[in-house]
Amino acid sequence: MKLDPATIGHLKAQARHYFEWLKRWLDPANLARLRPKLEFQTGVLAGFALLASVLLGVTNCSTEGTIRQRLNDDLLHSLAEVVPNGLHDNDMLQDTLTVPSADYNIAANETLVYLAKKSGKVTAVCFKFTAPDGYSGAINMIMGIDRDGAILGVRVLSHKETPGLGDKIEVAKSNWILNFVGRSLDNLTPSQWAVKKDGGEFDQFAGATITPRKSVQAIYRGLQLFKAHQTELIKP
Amino acid sequence: MIIHSKPSSGAHVGANRSVSQIMWQVMLALSPATVFGLWCFGWPAINLFVITVGSAILFEALCIQLKGRPVKPVIMDGSALLTGWLLAMTLPPWAPWWIGVVGSGLAIVLGKQVYGGLGQNLFNPAMLARVALLISFPVEMTTWANISPLFFGDSPGLAESWRITFAGLASLDAYTGATTLGTIKTEFSQNRLLPDILKDYSVVLDFIGWTRGSLSESSTLFLGLGGIWLIREKIIQWQIPVSLLVTVALLSGLFHSIDGAHYVSPFVHLNSGAIMCVAFFIATDYVTSPNTATGQLVFGASCGLLIFVIRTWGAYPEGAGFAVLLMNSATPLIDHYIRPRIYGRDRQGKPLEIPKP
Amino acid sequence: MFLSTTYRKIAGDGLWNNNIVFGQNLALCPLLAVTGTATNGLGMGLATLVVITASNGLISVARHLIPSEIRIPIFVLLIAALVTLVDILMNAWAHELYKVLGLFIALIVTNCALLGRAEAFASKQPVKEALWDGLMMGLGFTLVLVALGAAREISSTGTLFANASLLLGESFRFLEVTIIPNYKGFLLMALPPGGFIMLAFLIVGKRLIDQKLTQIKVQRVVLNAAVTE
Repeated sequence: MKLDPATIGHLKAQARHYFEWLKRWLDPANLARLRPKLEFQTGVLAGFALLASVLLGVTNCSTEGTIRQRLNDDLLHSLAEVVPNGLHDNDMLQDTLTVPSADYNIAANETLVYLAKKSGKVTAVCFKFTAPDGYSGAINMIMGIDRDGAILGVRVLSHKETPGLGDKIEVAKSNWILNFVGRSLDNLTPSQWAVKKDGGEFDQFAGATITPRKSVQAIYRGLQLFKAHQTELIKP
Repeated sequence: MIIHSKPSSGAHVGANRSVSQIMWQVMLALSPATVFGLWCFGWPAINLFVITVGSAILFEALCIQLKGRPVKPVIMDGSALLTGWLLAMTLPPWAPWWIGVVGSGLAIVLGKQVYGGLGQNLFNPAMLARVALLISFPVEMTTWANISPLFFGDSPGLAESWRITFAGLASLDAYTGATTLGTIKTEFSQNRLLPDILKDYSVVLDFIGWTRGSLSESSTLFLGLGGIWLIREKIIQWQIPVSLLVTVALLSGLFHSIDGAHYVSPFVHLNSGAIMCVAFFIATDYVTSPNTATGQLVFGASCGLLIFVIRTWGAYPEGAGFAVLLMNSATPLIDHYIRPRIYGRDRQGKPLEIPKP
Repeated sequence: MFLSTTYRKIAGDGLWNNNIVFGQNLALCPLLAVTGTATNGLGMGLATLVVITASNGLISVARHLIPSEIRIPIFVLLIAALVTLVDILMNAWAHELYKVLGLFIALIVTNCALLGRAEAFASKQPVKEALWDGLMMGLGFTLVLVALGAAREISSTGTLFANASLLLGESFRFLEVTIIPNYKGFLLMALPPGGFIMLAFLIVGKRLIDQKLTQIKVQRVVLNAAVTE
């Protein structure tokens, strides 16, 4: 559609008219007259609500992808802690299997296992699990296991253990949790999978026995879970 | 109808004891248990005791100095000495020197003087410091030395004791272990049952206090004797200790008779941890407990209930300190609802009717 | 640059005299919750600074539109929207910081200081003053958060500005210092009671300084009076 100068002039005049009207309407004196009116109050509240929802909606839509990306980055970061990057060339977040884990007391009926593959062959697996019976609540951990059942790494994701005592399970506080690297169900007997106080291989902490004990036990159960599904998990 | 309960005090009644007299008598009552504890744990315990009491007095002097008041009379009333003494009794006997100093600082400065000094504090200073230390330094506050009495062959000598107090223990495991309550808590998590856990438990030794624990909280015998003497001397009232101990005994007896494998017997409850020390010497603190006899019964029973609940279902093996602090904060509430009767008036404050002659 | 008296008074109120924490004793919930370390305090302070300035500006712009009968719902609506906005944006663009402060950003909504400034200042003042007030109040709040965080961090772990590089980027790693090497750690100070204890000491400090300042002022007035006579 082509606009001739007359129409443009008309539109301009109209715009100026509306602008003038808005300016007069927004004049403090006029607003002071309107403010006590119920219709005005309803309208203003609705207007602000609309403004807020539009603003939030737009922001949410435009950042949704980024936030999902960040959360994936977090997960990848945790995975990389327990499965060395050299072991796989696939996107572990996409290569997953779900195994039933209700019998292993790791606070989940089903466990999502991330598979690390190199040239299409499974080299390691990684999954999150929980020691439900820590000293003051659940201890959430993540563990990487190579295809033969030896531990590549374990990390604590979150816990509520006593600061200064039980929190030595965090890698930031002590390297206790690094002792699990290379351990498996084959190179330690079931009775060695315990803290030294209970006749096992792993240190307890001064003043805290329950936290490391329960962590060791949960890691042991995690390995059993892997063993039960080993053939299925490392098949391809 | 008028309830003719005894008025709690009157303006015309004079006190026949001064503050310092009371303090000295309490200390006298504490002495047998303290001496026994010091003997049981040897020179390191004596070092810690001296350091804790000494620094309590220094902190008190410092605060009074800051307030611009004469220091000497306040120190001589013995209250800072008693606070330091009580605190030292509740510490692990071989704790390093700075535990004593920090504890005394917390007790005197934060527990007492910031509230305005003697008689103004909301919480029992010694227990406040004990709990703050436990939360802040969990390792040092749960390292319990084995019994190693003075002048016995393998007990640390004087020189060795200075190394323990000022440099810390070299090999923890050789000299330390868990308390009875601590053992029970950790072994439950291994799904072991009470008869199995307590097979080495000796009734007599626990009653005397010959067991791992705080410096001198363990001896039911000596603490009990001291406490009963204080009641006889009318320094403390019987209500709080009796209601506290009876509540713990009844509750633990009830649960123990229902399930003896999972609930500790009343005897172990009454002879373990800080319960005797708390019942006779801490909970009975004039400043932080209710004024009326009824209020004191409520206070003591609630302390006992909390101790039992924390010991049985809580995260910590011993709950006496927490229980007393929680009830300290409830004391103003108890005093609000259960008021002392004023002379010539009933409990609601209305004048009594004068009977016609 | 010299500020006019109005602006100088607003700045003085926000930073010291009527400081959100020291003067008004507001916003103690977020204050005690996040000041375990100086870095967390700084992060929370900056987030609050942004929200309070924006909310002050917005409310001042719209002040003639807002009828007094429904001002509270509108203020709450605007503040909640702003906080949610900051929450989403931080999650997307400052994710590391969000992992530390994420829980507390939502707490800004409960920060009564925001509503307080909206009600007491922004709804009655021109936009420029309102923005300046928000900025100064936010800055004053940040200062207290950092001071409290620093005091608690030093006494609890012996470090200062730990993990500052996560918040401000690698170039600020120099801020991370260990004040007391081989410190045993005084856990109480990192826990909520430590927050209350430290805050009490800071408030006492502020009162002491104020007392000294008043003394000096009185002396000067007396001196001046003596001179003029």
